[in-house]
Amino acid sequence: MRNPMSPGDTPSQRHSTLTISPFISNRSARNHSTSQHQIPAASHGDRLNGERTDPPAAGNRSLSGALNPFHTLINSPLGQKVTKTLSVSSFNTPHQVKVHNGGGNNTSRNNMFGYTVPSTLRKVSLQREYKDPSNFIPKGSSAPQQQDLPGDPSTTTLTTNTVATTAANEIDISELSSVDKLRYWRHDALMQHMLTTAEYVGDKVYSITGDPNDAFWLAQVYYNKGEYIRAINYMAIDSLDSVNVMCRYLMGLCLIELQRYDDALDVVGETNPYASEEIPSAHISEDTETSRSQETTDGGVKLESSLCFLRGKIFCALNNFSSAKDAFKEAIAIDVKNFEAFNELTSKSLLTPQQEWDLIETLDFSILDDNEDIIKNFYVLRLSKLINKERTEAAQRLLAEEYNLDSNVDYIHSNIEILFSQCKFGECLHVCEAYLSKDEFNPKILPIYISCLYEVSAKNKLFLLSHQLTEKFPKKAISWFSVATYYMCMSKLQEARTFFAKSSMLDPTFAPAWLGFAHTYALEGEQDQALSAYSTAARFFPGSHLPNLFLGMQYMSSNTLSLAEEYFTLAYDICDRDPLVLNEMGVMYYKKEDYEKSKKFLKRAAEETRELDSNSKTAISIQTNLGHTYKKLGDYEHAIKCFKYILEDSERDVDTYCTLGFLYLKTNQLQKAVDILHRALAIEPSNQNANEMLVRALELNVAKELDSDHPLVMNSYEMNPLKNRDNTALSRKRTLMPFLQSSGLSKRSKRNEHGPIESPLEGPSKVPSTETNNEMMDLE
Amino acid sequence: MQGDTLESAQLKILEGVKLGLRRSARELSQWKLYKSAKWSAEALHGLTNVTIDTNAADSSTTQDNDSPLRNRINMAIPSSPQVPAEQVSGPYMGLTESEYDLYLFISTLFDCKEFDRCVFFLRDAEEPRLKFLQFYSEYLSWDKKTRESTENVLMTGKPDKKSEKELSEKHLLGSNFLQDNTQKQSEGVFTSETGQQTSLAIILNELRVYLKKLDQRSANTLGLALLHYLKGVLLNRQGNKSHALSAFLESLSYYTFNWTCWLELLDCITRPDESSLILRHLNEKFIIKGDEPVSQNVPENNIMLQFFKLALLQEFNYSGSVDEFFFILENLLILLPNFTYLKSQSAIMNYNYMDYSVAENIFDNIFKCDPYRLEDLDIYSNILYVMQKHSKLAYLAQYVSHVDRFRPETCCIVANYYSARQEHEKSIMYFRRALVLNKKSTSAWTLMGHEFVELKNSHAAIECYRRAVDINERDYKAWFGLGQAYEVLDMHLYSLYYFQKACTLKPLDRRMWQALAECYGLLKNSEQAIECYRRALQLSSNAGQDVLLLFRMAEQYELILDIESCKQNMLKCVALEDSSDGSFVTDETVKARLWLARYEMRMHNYQEAYDYAKRISNGTSQEIEEARTIARNCRQLFN
Repeated sequence: MRNPMSPGDTPSQRHSTLTISPFISNRSARNHSTSQHQIPAASHGDRLNGERTDPPAAGNRSLSGALNPFHTLINSPLGQKVTKTLSVSSFNTPHQVKVHNGGGNNTSRNNMFGYTVPSTLRKVSLQREYKDPSNFIPKGSSAPQQQDLPGDPSTTTLTTNTVATTAANEIDISELSSVDKLRYWRHDALMQHMLTTAEYVGDKVYSITGDPNDAFWLAQVYYNKGEYIRAINYMAIDSLDSVNVMCRYLMGLCLIELQRYDDALDVVGETNPYASEEIPSAHISEDTETSRSQETTDGGVKLESSLCFLRGKIFCALNNFSSAKDAFKEAIAIDVKNFEAFNELTSKSLLTPQQEWDLIETLDFSILDDNEDIIKNFYVLRLSKLINKERTEAAQRLLAEEYNLDSNVDYIHSNIEILFSQCKFGECLHVCEAYLSKDEFNPKILPIYISCLYEVSAKNKLFLLSHQLTEKFPKKAISWFSVATYYMCMSKLQEARTFFAKSSMLDPTFAPAWLGFAHTYALEGEQDQALSAYSTAARFFPGSHLPNLFLGMQYMSSNTLSLAEEYFTLAYDICDRDPLVLNEMGVMYYKKEDYEKSKKFLKRAAEETRELDSNSKTAISIQTNLGHTYKKLGDYEHAIKCFKYILEDSERDVDTYCTLGFLYLKTNQLQKAVDILHRALAIEPSNQNANEMLVRALELNVAKELDSDHPLVMNSYEMNPLKNRDNTALSRKRTLMPFLQSSGLSKRSKRNEHGPIESPLEGPSKVPSTETNNEMMDLE
Repeated sequence: MQGDTLESAQLKILEGVKLGLRRSARELSQWKLYKSAKWSAEALHGLTNVTIDTNAADSSTTQDNDSPLRNRINMAIPSSPQVPAEQVSGPYMGLTESEYDLYLFISTLFDCKEFDRCVFFLRDAEEPRLKFLQFYSEYLSWDKKTRESTENVLMTGKPDKKSEKELSEKHLLGSNFLQDNTQKQSEGVFTSETGQQTSLAIILNELRVYLKKLDQRSANTLGLALLHYLKGVLLNRQGNKSHALSAFLESLSYYTFNWTCWLELLDCITRPDESSLILRHLNEKFIIKGDEPVSQNVPENNIMLQFFKLALLQEFNYSGSVDEFFFILENLLILLPNFTYLKSQSAIMNYNYMDYSVAENIFDNIFKCDPYRLEDLDIYSNILYVMQKHSKLAYLAQYVSHVDRFRPETCCIVANYYSARQEHEKSIMYFRRALVLNKKSTSAWTLMGHEFVELKNSHAAIECYRRAVDINERDYKAWFGLGQAYEVLDMHLYSLYYFQKACTLKPLDRRMWQALAECYGLLKNSEQAIECYRRALQLSSNAGQDVLLLFRMAEQYELILDIESCKQNMLKCVALEDSSDGSFVTDETVKARLWLARYEMRMHNYQEAYDYAKRISNGTSQEIEEARTIARNCRQLFN
């Protein structure tokens, strides 16, 4: 186990910045002042309390700690974390927070993080502190400046704020050295974003001590002020970056901010310098195992992981996506708590759906202790919804039922994604709006919400939203994406393209904007531009099958079928269950006149769409394509079934009618053919095909003999009372009216309910559909 | 005689009918099916005066039932448990208290036609009847919006018929832009700017999902009936008639006293053969699942079933149907002697069988009993038009426009009036007005088509007829009109098809077969033409017509070089003329004789030829000239 940092010591990659928070240095300075000092400290604290604030109401004694000037530290999130790890009850009892916040109005007075730990808990924490201080350190996110770190047992001192609060005792500020006092001052100022104060004090501290940690904190202040160059210079002067991992990390961050990526890469290193260390450390001994587990309880994010993440980000900025992907994966493998890296991996489509799921399998969530389950499930929710739907749902159920987290944004987000992928736009909108009423501009929800609005062409809402977004967040990609989508909706491609471009400029990793940009070209028929835009997108988002799919579509529309096939296969490899891909594959084989294969793919696509709303454009176009395929295969009965199914529920379309008319003509059902063709012409009187076929049908009609099979003749028999008894005629008719047989009735109504599901099985559908598909997936 | 038993059985039925009608009048108006409610109430009003002393509670509800307004007051009072039909018991019509309050709210919104608001407030409702109101409002809102956008087309689009004329021949079969638009609109998705999409398909889907979830057994039967009814309406509107049919049947099995549902069911039947099938189905398979009043819960006794059969027989007639019709009608009239609907049905039946004076008398009677009832009066005006009673027609037109100028019936009557005065333009204007008021009026479309024919505007006429058959495929007049209009345009391929359609609907009408035969003749398909002529002959009852048919048939035989058959027909022609003592001397008989004369001459039977030629005294100068020549030649030859 590592020793606590001495003043000049710097944290290693295994630690988080918690190690060098001022209290650490403080701790060693006051190494000797252990518990025996606590009682005086307590009384002192009380005194202070009395002096500084109006006495809190009775029963608020336990809150006295809240009034202490150290509060920022004591009650920083760490304090909460402590109670969390100690007592499950405090975990989900928000009322405590309420009580304390309400009990003393200390919050506003002394610090920003008004939260007090109930004294009982503090007591517990104290006791445990003595035994195993490492339990106290659970800080989860990387907020280097605000945490302190408990040392190992031997050095447990006041330095942990929990100790300070034990038994309602406080750190006595007067007990601290003058430098430490300055450090606290600096730290609190930083916390409260009083950066000038922090800089001022930090400068003084550093001048006094010359401690590299103080230099680091000063650089931190510069960073927060946005004075990156100064921060770099500062660190460079003392060549801190070479000795101090932390400083190196900060320097990397600064360089990224300055967009000096190559320099940043130099600082961070192209590969993980500790990677090799890892292996020896793994087999060095079992005793490191224990130490490791101790280390991992250092609740922060390991610097090594952060560095890897930083490397990934740099690679991303340098468009080196495969290296970036590796770096991110490494980051998350080193420390699962590095959500930043996980987020990059999942939301930026760096991994294919399968890879995402594989990744989560490899991750080790055990270091999260009690939180293992919850975090793991939340991570699962972030994964692609295209595969392993059951597991997503299982995770959802677990979170909703066991943790009551069904109103959490990530939970809702995953819900929305599922709805969207099922083309249930209305419902999706509903859920989105319900959430957005609480958090109007949530960047996770907005992209899907906007796409949804586009799908239902809610121009008015899009208009309002775009305006609000651009007014409030003119620098965000999403704002301009929304504007562009609005223009897409209005079919103003030129404007749409401009804004898509703007959006992707602001955030080059924002996939929807890239795709939208490419779509504008595709819609305008600008083959070359569209192709290059799509292939850029394909390069940027190696984990997404969409760019490849669209590329394939482009090639298909220019009849370059072999290239199209290649791209479709790529897309298919990434995601073999997306009905769109399957549909396009089917269409491609159709064009290649390989109808059997086409049928195979389209049937699969139809199966995949079974869960979808039967009215969705996808389902319809798949059915149409399948119908055409059957037609080509000469299976007219199946083809007719397909087309009839399409007409049952969906919008009327001339081509469908024409094809159906053709099929009836082929199967010699003249009356039906003529009726259907009439309907086609009613929609589009000038349709050449329909007219020709109609004339053909009518000509056949003239030639048809008026024998006993002619419907007219049969009909007149029917009407003729004398021959009405003719049973054969009747039974023949009967087949036409299925509702008559009682079984027929039930079958029929059943079909009604499941219509969309049953038919696709047998069903076939349409070739000229790529266009519509294009639109529908537009903004996914 | 059969006396008491029959009497008491009838009384029992009467009682059931009364309860059923009463209940439906109240419930259906509660759930906003006003037309059905009106029909029920009207029927109730027309019931025979025999008072049934069941119990006091019953008679008290009788009074209440007269006005829907009082019904509503009545709802608040717990209805007496004695009435078995009272499935809706309790103060809140079987709703919970909060649902009932919601219902009151929605009900007023609905009455104020604020459909979107209804939908909004009902979005969380779960009760089947409330759910019905939600979907119904949704549908009405959609309907209103689409209609608002199509009405403009109808108003502005129509006048420039000229552009329509310019459509090339090719386009004729299809319809003009007008239809184009409305078709698309009516099928289309109506997207409001806020992204709320409504379309039939979407509403239908929601409805299906809801019905699927609903526990069929525990749910209120009225609610189920309403929901299935709405499903049927939506399906029908989508053109999915067979599914609509089963939905209506389902609805009716839960609740028979819903007249519009029966009407919609009727609307789903497009072919005559289907009508007999549905009758069979109703007789054999129909099960009433809802709780109807006693005596009405068996299909044989159910009065609504009788009403439906009546309407069906009126719409589809085949031989024998007339007798059945009048049999049912009489039975119903015993129960409901004062029900105007029954009278008008019988008038329409008479009109269908071209028995105009009887029909007129009945309408006169209706007119006296219920002078402000405008329904079906447009048919009355048709009768007057056909009978050329122009002054009476003028009076009627004046009268109805005083009653209500903005009823589709009124507009049709006025249009007929103008048509009778040969003011076809004005007539068309009024028909158009009628159609704005009720776009589903087939007869208005058909009549407008006739007007266009009068104006020699075949294209516009075709358009009108087409709209008529789009709405009601059973309108044989429109099909026939289509055929004729295309005939004028020399597009016999098309007219043949339409004549076939008309003939399918009216297989026992000579005119249909004759038209078909002529069409086949023009298309040079003589075999079929002959076949059709033969059929027409079978159906013909008029010797004058027979001559014509025989001659035409002979002509066709000649074309296929079947001279023997041709000759036979020509002979029959002549024989007919002879048998009628020369009262049937028509062009055809002259021609037949001439043909025979020529034929015999060619066969060297100069004596016969001479005889035939000699008898020719009428006809065109050419024919007479030719006859004379033949006669002269024959004389020379056999001399």
